[in-house]
Amino acid sequence: MKRITIDPITRLEGHGRIDIFLDDQGRVENACFQIPELRGFEQFCVGRMAEEMPVITNRICGVCPEAHHLAASKALDNVFGAEPTSVAKKLRELLYMAFFVTDHTTHFYALGGPDFIVGPDAPPAERNILGVARKVGLEVAGEVIACRRRNHEIITFLGGRSIHPVAGVPGGWSRAITAEERTQIEAAASKNIEFARFSLSIFEKIVLKNPVYREMITSDTYLHRTYSMGTVDASNQANFYDGMIRVIDPQGREFLKYHPSAYREHIAERVEAWTYLKYPYLKGVGWKGLVDGVGSGVYTATPLSRLNVSEGMATPLANAEYQRMYEAFGCKKVTAARYEPIHHRMATHWARLIELLYASERMLELALDPEITSPETRNIPNPDRFTGEGVGSVEAPRGTLTHHYTTDERGVLTMVNMIVGTTNNYAAISMSIKRAAERLITSNAPDESILNRIEMAFRLYDPCFSCATHFLPGKMPLTVRLRDYQGATLREMRRKA
Amino acid sequence: MTAGVVIIGMGNALLSDDGVGIAVAHAVAERLQHRTDLTVTELPAGGIRLMEAMAGYRRAVVVDAMLSGAAPGTVQRFDPRDFVTTKNTFSSHDTDFATAFDLGRLAGVPLPEQVSFWGVEAREFDLFGERFSDEVAAALPLAVNRIVAQIVEWEAAA
Repeated sequence: MKRITIDPITRLEGHGRIDIFLDDQGRVENACFQIPELRGFEQFCVGRMAEEMPVITNRICGVCPEAHHLAASKALDNVFGAEPTSVAKKLRELLYMAFFVTDHTTHFYALGGPDFIVGPDAPPAERNILGVARKVGLEVAGEVIACRRRNHEIITFLGGRSIHPVAGVPGGWSRAITAEERTQIEAAASKNIEFARFSLSIFEKIVLKNPVYREMITSDTYLHRTYSMGTVDASNQANFYDGMIRVIDPQGREFLKYHPSAYREHIAERVEAWTYLKYPYLKGVGWKGLVDGVGSGVYTATPLSRLNVSEGMATPLANAEYQRMYEAFGCKKVTAARYEPIHHRMATHWARLIELLYASERMLELALDPEITSPETRNIPNPDRFTGEGVGSVEAPRGTLTHHYTTDERGVLTMVNMIVGTTNNYAAISMSIKRAAERLITSNAPDESILNRIEMAFRLYDPCFSCATHFLPGKMPLTVRLRDYQGATLREMRRKA
Repeated sequence: MTAGVVIIGMGNALLSDDGVGIAVAHAVAERLQHRTDLTVTELPAGGIRLMEAMAGYRRAVVVDAMLSGAAPGTVQRFDPRDFVTTKNTFSSHDTDFATAFDLGRLAGVPLPEQVSFWGVEAREFDLFGERFSDEVAAALPLAVNRIVAQIVEWEAAA
């Protein structure tokens, strides 16, 4: 088997790498990330008090500490048998919406957007957030920074600390908000809604109205008919903080709906000989390799899959945009509110903007909730209800995040297991890289173009490997090597930082 | 308007040598807190976050683990002009520091007049733990001395 390796030049980036495996005929056989995992996390946690987990796990990753903090807090609710108060759940969700707004905004303007707004074949020096600002208008730079700032301020006072929140406790939240803070949140949420609508209008104007980019989104280069996963509320509508896990099949039929605590009954992990990466898949379907279709247990947990499983969106503006997207793809309705799933993975960028609008609207709803300033933020755990085991799950921006702990009778951790957002999508990401590679590696396309098209394949998933792993080549120095059977280099492509 | 000095310790304090930047930042702050307007900030991720963490300060010092291939414990100062990245100053989730800094300028963020980067070569950077490897532990006081000297020099020149 030949192997193409994309590995960065220095020791730093050498920690993340993409391998593309060719068969004897030079066809792409498999593709995958090679990402060594951070070691020793479970050992680091076992023996500590379970209550420490919300502040330990939020340090696993510098990108989404809020997601880990909430998943850990929810797992602890179950370990201690302490149901959070109504306002505690709302405060947690409020913090989470502010986080989603900053995270999705940053991804669109800094990572995903440049491919569309500046163009996939623009030089890398221009294909970044500055290039976006030059194209869209320089004031957008200020808008992005202002959006981050107003939401980071809210995350800081709601979470009790900047960057690494500390307010989540078993049974609730450690602080209430004042009337003044509520007013600030309301104002920020209203601005977020405007900014989300502005972002969708840019997407409409620059991407959807441009035939070349429209073709890029709707072409079958990144088309995979897989199962879709997402968290839904009691109305089967997407919710990022809480609910049941819903899985639909590639045609849009509900395949599974389960409580997050039952994840082990439905999700298994596949180990392949050619990589040490473990691929999660649906147990009830089975593993057939990196292939799509109703017979393959590969699923995705992304903004697009969350919309695919949702019966419309729970907020009005986001719901209108949701309908517009599915109708643009010609999807028929499968229920009163839901459409056939979209499998064109580039549409994930569009779905992310719809989620941005939803998170902004939901944030405003919560800010206007009459209960939101209630001081009843916590139910003190009752020792009689202590269970010693808990699963906590939220939708991280990049996929369903699950924490699972068990403790002894004193609350000392004996087991820690996690499935982080990106992990769910390992198989799907590999499939998209494979597809991009199939189209490109036998062509005479310039190196830069090949590197970027492969990067675009994983960038759309917004992967974050900081928590399970160390690093991912983004716009870093990259080397692609095409090697023959004996390992000799046939072609080398290199990009400097 | 900008004022004061911020020292930003980057990395993850739970990830062995990756936490060296944070430890150095706190040690520098302890040495200088009585004589300088100095703020210490911990930061796990770079890119736009790093630019935002400097906003409002006249000078910024960034300390991070690095993985350059040098001997573990090597301490090195980088000028922003020829700086590429240490371990955490680039964010795989948004952009590199240079782009983030230009973005801040474009957005009218009040950014420092002077920025310096310091790297401490790590040995153990993917193992959870709260202890430094021997070489990094030995290098810590050296890194602190050099950064303290630099800040004192900055202040004297001002």
